[in-house]
Amino acid sequence: MFIHIPRTHIILTLVLSFMLQTGDILAGPVTDQVGRTLIVPENPTRVIALAPSITEVIYSLGQEKRLVGATQYSTHPPEAEALPRIGSYIRLDIEKIVALKPDLCLATKDGNPKHIVDKIVSLGIPVYVINPLNLQQIMDTITRLGTLLHAERAAVELVADMEERIEQVQALVKKARNKPRVFFQIDAEPLFSAGNNTFIHELIELAGGINIAAGEDSYPRYSWEDILVLQPEIVLISSMAGGLSPEYLIKSWKRWNQLSAVNNDQVYVVDAELFDRPTPRLLDGLELVAAIIHPELFEKNIKRTEN
Amino acid sequence: MPIGKKIIFTTLLLSIVLLLSSIIAMSAGSSGTHFWETLSILTGNSDPDSVTATIIWQIRLPRVILAAFVGGTLALGGLVFQALLRNPLAEPYILGISGGSAIGAILAMLIGLSYFPGVAIFSFAGSLLVLAFVTTLASTTLGNTMLGKDSLLLGGVMMNAFCAAVIMFLISMTRSFQVQHILYWLMGDLATIQKGQLSILFLLFPCFIIIFVLSRPMNLLLLGKETAAAMGINVKKIVLLLLVITSLMVSIIVSLSGLVGFVGLVIPHIFRLVLGPDHRILVPSCLLGGASYLILCDLLARILPSSGELPVGIITALIGAPLFIILLLRHRT
Repeated sequence: MFIHIPRTHIILTLVLSFMLQTGDILAGPVTDQVGRTLIVPENPTRVIALAPSITEVIYSLGQEKRLVGATQYSTHPPEAEALPRIGSYIRLDIEKIVALKPDLCLATKDGNPKHIVDKIVSLGIPVYVINPLNLQQIMDTITRLGTLLHAERAAVELVADMEERIEQVQALVKKARNKPRVFFQIDAEPLFSAGNNTFIHELIELAGGINIAAGEDSYPRYSWEDILVLQPEIVLISSMAGGLSPEYLIKSWKRWNQLSAVNNDQVYVVDAELFDRPTPRLLDGLELVAAIIHPELFEKNIKRTEN
Repeated sequence: MPIGKKIIFTTLLLSIVLLLSSIIAMSAGSSGTHFWETLSILTGNSDPDSVTATIIWQIRLPRVILAAFVGGTLALGGLVFQALLRNPLAEPYILGISGGSAIGAILAMLIGLSYFPGVAIFSFAGSLLVLAFVTTLASTTLGNTMLGKDSLLLGGVMMNAFCAAVIMFLISMTRSFQVQHILYWLMGDLATIQKGQLSILFLLFPCFIIIFVLSRPMNLLLLGKETAAAMGINVKKIVLLLLVITSLMVSIIVSLSGLVGFVGLVIPHIFRLVLGPDHRILVPSCLLGGASYLILCDLLARILPSSGELPVGIITALIGAPLFIILLLRHRT
């Protein structure tokens, strides 16, 4: 059977397929993680990270040479401390941002105020907004940033490594016989914990524990009365909680020897940065929590961190 | 010196002060100080596309303009309320404007509306609601008159106290990262201004003019309402007009800048001490002087911290309160 295809169609198809093939390399309109379309430079060389987590991801992609500015508390890796500061992620200093002549700003939806992002855009600086809400989306973010910053291979390797580490933890946790009840304290005086839609919740569940703060409220508040009723078996305290010392934080739990977590010495202070930043370091947090929750499975594999 | 000449002289002098403080404020900021470069950019003798030019035209200029209007309006608002309520402690927020607009603004932030127009409209609506309530309350408790100065004052203070409780309730129910936005707004913050929003400020010009026209009746009101009425003033009408106009313009300002304190208290008192009680001179002086004062306070808010900036309301309070006390002491001796 003979199907007539007009010549123009063939040419059009060829042109289209050519465009599609080169589309990944050319600078052009891209859609960011919150669905905004923007034009990004083909090879951004003056990038400003508007949140510590973004600085961290750029370093782990090996693209720090492109960074010209970062926010306060961009302390990881330590080299990042030398970058020019542009205010904190919530109070960005627009004047300093403009003075650094960036060709691309990377922002995060959960943190950077929208009106400031709008203002940067109105000054002619493209702003790519990321919005990772769980581990899967962090990996998606890394892939996207890898494409933006020409570090596709590093991104693929990083994501593969993250997937592997998650699978390892999952495989081990499967063998566990029990699911301990975990309370993760993110703030002290008053007590706050983390509910659904937080990284902390995801990490506890992945590590084979039950997050007793699970619920619609992302950051529920607790009283000691609630805690005594809930009877956590394991207590994890963020090192940032209340700006208090780890000794003090642990002492405030040791008052309650009616709690099995206290009786069995299962109260730990953990590094806040491993739990509140959407970066590959959340995997360190995952492995740490898994080792605390199921020491019998992890002793051989991961060095247990004591408080 | 005849009054006409004195008005022109002080206005001219304070205009020069305003111009100078604007130029100084535009030449300094977190990215550095460049006075001569700023002058050449402002006079058009420099590359208008340079980074410094962008910073000066797009970032610093809108802020200086906003600061000028906020400072001028608050100082003028303080002057008018002090005259109307015949109370030296009256300030632009006295009738519950701050409380009402804060509730409106916080609600808008909690819903997740953008700063403009969402938060601005909500805070404007909030202040008008409280204002309407307080004025109705004052006029009904006293039966027939808007001049129950103490009932207005007390109604305003109580409404502010009530609103403060509602604000605390809202904050206590709020997720932690939103609290920061709300607190900065409550402290008074000019950082959120965008160029397009400045056009709303032109609504303030007619308010300024009406208040200036009414400055002679305001002088007479200081003598008491009976005397003023005896001199041919329609007291009720004038008071109502001044109340509404002043509250309107203060609400506009609050919706853009949050709560900036002490300007409305300190500036009118300084000028009253220096220039005497004549409102024909005080109205333009407070407007221009308040503008310069807030421009310079905002400059400090931008350049004092090594990283980031302070809300300007903190600076106005830190400078304003001691200044006010010094004025009081010198006045006594």
